Amino acid sequence: MEFRDYYKVLGVERAASADQIKAAYRRLARKYHPDVSKEPNAEARFKEMQEAYEVLKDPEKRAAYDELGANWKAGEQFRPPPDWGTGFEFSGGAGHAGGAGRAAGARRGAGRSGWSGAGAEDGAFAEQDFSEFFSSLFGGGSPFARGGGGAARDHHARVGLELEETYRGTTRTLELRRPEVKPDGSVELRTHTVRVTIPPGVTEGQLIRLAGQGAPAAGRGQAGDLYLEVHVQPHRLFALEGRDVTLTFPVAPWEAALGASVTVPTLGGSVEMHIPAGAQSGQSLRLRGRGLPGQPPGDQYVQLKVVLPPASSPQAKALYEEMRGKLDFDPRANLSR
Amino acid sequence: MAGVTHRLEAHVLGEGDWIGATEICRLCWLDLGAVMELAELGVVAPRGTPPGEWQIPATALPRLRVIGRLMRDLGVNVSGAALALELLEARRQLERRIRALELLVSDH
Repeated sequence: MEFRDYYKVLGVERAASADQIKAAYRRLARKYHPDVSKEPNAEARFKEMQEAYEVLKDPEKRAAYDELGANWKAGEQFRPPPDWGTGFEFSGGAGHAGGAGRAAGARRGAGRSGWSGAGAEDGAFAEQDFSEFFSSLFGGGSPFARGGGGAARDHHARVGLELEETYRGTTRTLELRRPEVKPDGSVELRTHTVRVTIPPGVTEGQLIRLAGQGAPAAGRGQAGDLYLEVHVQPHRLFALEGRDVTLTFPVAPWEAALGASVTVPTLGGSVEMHIPAGAQSGQSLRLRGRGLPGQPPGDQYVQLKVVLPPASSPQAKALYEEMRGKLDFDPRANLSR
Repeated sequence: MAGVTHRLEAHVLGEGDWIGATEICRLCWLDLGAVMELAELGVVAPRGTPPGEWQIPATALPRLRVIGRLMRDLGVNVSGAALALELLEARRQLERRIRALELLVSDH
């Protein structure tokens, strides 16, 4: 695995004070928070920062991390030293409910695209999927994972869906990693694969609950749940708002002027639509119930865009000249009032 | 080591689902005080009484989770997070309108 330079991630000196680290994290969090940021790769950067801050804000973890030495460079091949974690006294839990170990992660489904990149994560850490580097040093099975309390915990992950998938429903394959205690008392991460059926009509930000797929409680208690938060990817043709979709639809000037029957693409396939005579560019027509399914289903709005034919042939030029000569039309009538 | 593949039915928390205050707090990284403040601000419309027994529509979850994340990750307070949420929603709305107008005037 690759070494991670947590000081570099937060842009602070190794000698930085706790306050400086907190300030650096807050500054970067505001810039890269996935709910707020417009930066490219904001989500990946934010996860890196959260991981770095998780270690550097905790005096015990920071001291242990510093013990690795200052000679490691980010990206260098790294293995935890065999005596990792010995010689430290642990306060147990380090002040947060979940303990340090990320107990499970939902990975990109085998052979499937569409995950936003975030995995299922420990509820205590929320939207993150910490690196193998972090897990090996501070995760389940490490001395730093003590004090978790053994309670069942929920996990949260984001799932990216194409608009067509939200319309028709879809399935996702998730690989969930869970710590399991072996007979000798050591802990290993076990992966199990689940297929999830997502029904039609889920919308942006909606939560999907997979009961019992979170972190198990210590002993034989009931496991927490896994929650998938839906994010709908931008679509080439349709803009989504709630359950409604909008399509910008090019029409010829005579279709707008005289009215026409046209074939319009919708998420459920093409439909016939009537354009009323005298329609204008920018006008929206509604196809009721042609948005995402639901109670009630959404609508599709068709925004007309009048496209002028180019005057590139003698026939086209002649027609434009005829219109100029015969039509009493002043497009700038409003300006001279 | 991969285990057996299980097929799971997903339960979508949506229209018609009402969620108890305790579960809302857990799902949105909020405490009850914050949920009460959000009700005062009109961000959620709970039913029932007292606040600990409130039922909240699942359709409020996406907004409450953004508020919870902003509070947790950026250190803002309840009204700051609620304001940020409203501004983010207004920004998204404007972006959509700009995109629609751009499509209207672009060549393709």
